[in-house]
Amino acid sequence: MTRERFIDLVRTEQEPLRRFLLGLCSGNQSMADDLAQDALVRAYVASGSFLGLSKFSTWLFRIAYNCFIDQYRKASLDTVSDESLEARSAMSDDSTDDSFRYQQLYMALDKIPEKERAAIVLHYFEDRDIKEIAAIMQIPSGTVKYLLSVGRNHLKEHLSV
Amino acid sequence: MNKKDNIEEFLRDNKPVVKDDPTFLLETKRRLKNVEGIKAEVDRQRVHGRMALIVTLIIGIVIGAMATFIGYICPFNPENIGESAFAGLILFITTWKQYFFILLAALSVSLALLLSRTRHAGM
Repeated sequence: MTRERFIDLVRTEQEPLRRFLLGLCSGNQSMADDLAQDALVRAYVASGSFLGLSKFSTWLFRIAYNCFIDQYRKASLDTVSDESLEARSAMSDDSTDDSFRYQQLYMALDKIPEKERAAIVLHYFEDRDIKEIAAIMQIPSGTVKYLLSVGRNHLKEHLSV
Repeated sequence: MNKKDNIEEFLRDNKPVVKDDPTFLLETKRRLKNVEGIKAEVDRQRVHGRMALIVTLIIGIVIGAMATFIGYICPFNPENIGESAFAGLILFITTWKQYFFILLAALSVSLALLLSRTRHAGM
């Protein structure tokens, strides 16, 4: 795959990819964008191995999810997230209302396990079906359904919905 | 409306909005260009390494063939050499030739590996 072709594909996929990672990173935009860049570089390096058996976006999301998991395991994201949430809260003091609009959601997402978060983000924010989520997370469809159910219950505990 | 519908509705109504960032694609292009540069350099080094191995192999075969040929046309006779230090060395090598050649081969392979590693490190 040439660089130009890859960039064309990225142009259409960058927004969903960044939104997916923004959800996974519980609203930390800079971390999400860093991960998105890492994922795109990894995808470009491995583009020769993309056989077209799945959609390009599914393949790209799988790489992005693996990047997130690597980062999560490496840097014990829980601690980082607490700091970043505090930083984001402080930032939002002089920011627009949009910052507050998502704050409750991001804080709730931050409190649930990363697999449940990924399933929730893919299903509700990215409108992916169960089969596609299973392909991205490389788990069985039944597990995705379970993660969605448990994730919803966990979110309910943290959200006043 | 039950609680499941509430949470689903809440999530669907509150999809995160990604701020439009024109620098994102520019940064991606810059990184991909760098990756291409690294890929090209790695490929170049791989070709260099392969060439070095082939040259080492050819030199090894030629030297081995020459040594065998010289051995055949000039058979070793310790009596012709006398009792000098050189004769002692030749005798020593002849006695322990299996180990001597294994050591020589190990040294050659190590040297070849070391050279190829040094080339990559200098990338």
